[in-house]
Amino acid sequence: MSLAGTELPPLTVTFKRDDLVRYAGASGDFNSIHWSDRMAAALGLPGVIAHGMLTMASAVRVVTDWLDDPADLVEYGVRFTNMIPVPDDDQGATSRIDGEEIFSSDAWVGHWGPRKCDEQKANSPAISRLSGQLVAVPTPPAHG
Amino acid sequence: MTIDATMVGRSYTAAGSYQVGREKIREFADAIGDGNPAYRGADPIAPPTFAFVIGSRALEELLGDAELGLRLDRIVHGAQKFSYTRPIKAGDEIAATATITTVRKAGPVEVIMYETALTTVDGEPIATSTSTLSHNRADT
Repeated sequence: MSLAGTELPPLTVTFKRDDLVRYAGASGDFNSIHWSDRMAAALGLPGVIAHGMLTMASAVRVVTDWLDDPADLVEYGVRFTNMIPVPDDDQGATSRIDGEEIFSSDAWVGHWGPRKCDEQKANSPAISRLSGQLVAVPTPPAHG
Repeated sequence: MTIDATMVGRSYTAAGSYQVGREKIREFADAIGDGNPAYRGADPIAPPTFAFVIGSRALEELLGDAELGLRLDRIVHGAQKFSYTRPIKAGDEIAATATITTVRKAGPVEVIMYETALTTVDGEPIATSTSTLSHNRADT
């Protein structure tokens, strides 16, 4: 039975400042743009931004949550297109990661770009192994 | 000096191997907000992006190559992909080597792709990380 067309459930994630601190410690990425408003501003950023790899970890959850066993994930990629500024308040920043047709997922992921911050979503093709079969990635649908 | 296409093929190996521990795996899973039980318990596997943490040690060596003239504060992570032969698990002892695969220049910006091979210290392949960075040399 073909799984093509199966929709993966979407995911909503919220990042607050303390999440960035926790991720810095866990990952070893202590780049100050992820915890210091002063340093972020000095580099022309709108404020402290989430680690790109943290947002990627959130995006891949759309696939690993769907897989019975995350060990079945064979390949996963993202492009970082948008920043996710995380204000120093109790609300933080909330992003929605859409579940798309198997096995593509679209994710808002962030990085700071040189002078440009386009609205384009990142496409995240995934390849997974199910019951010993490699299931290939279709081209993710374009988004308007 | 600045990075250019003649530097494609340069390889950088992380100083020392990385010993994967279950406590660190749990800490990382907590930090990314993923409660998947596969990352917990006595014999966990690591979440997929944990491969980047291990690979970062090789990236450190790459960024430390004075001949490339790269500055961390001018670097943006543009894209990232992982291919896994098997999951990373607690108990693994992992060697990481990063190799520059492409260098393109677009005005003051250098777009650099590098591949990081993660293997056990015995040479068993675990994962490959393909990273794209943009380095902005404007105003330097």
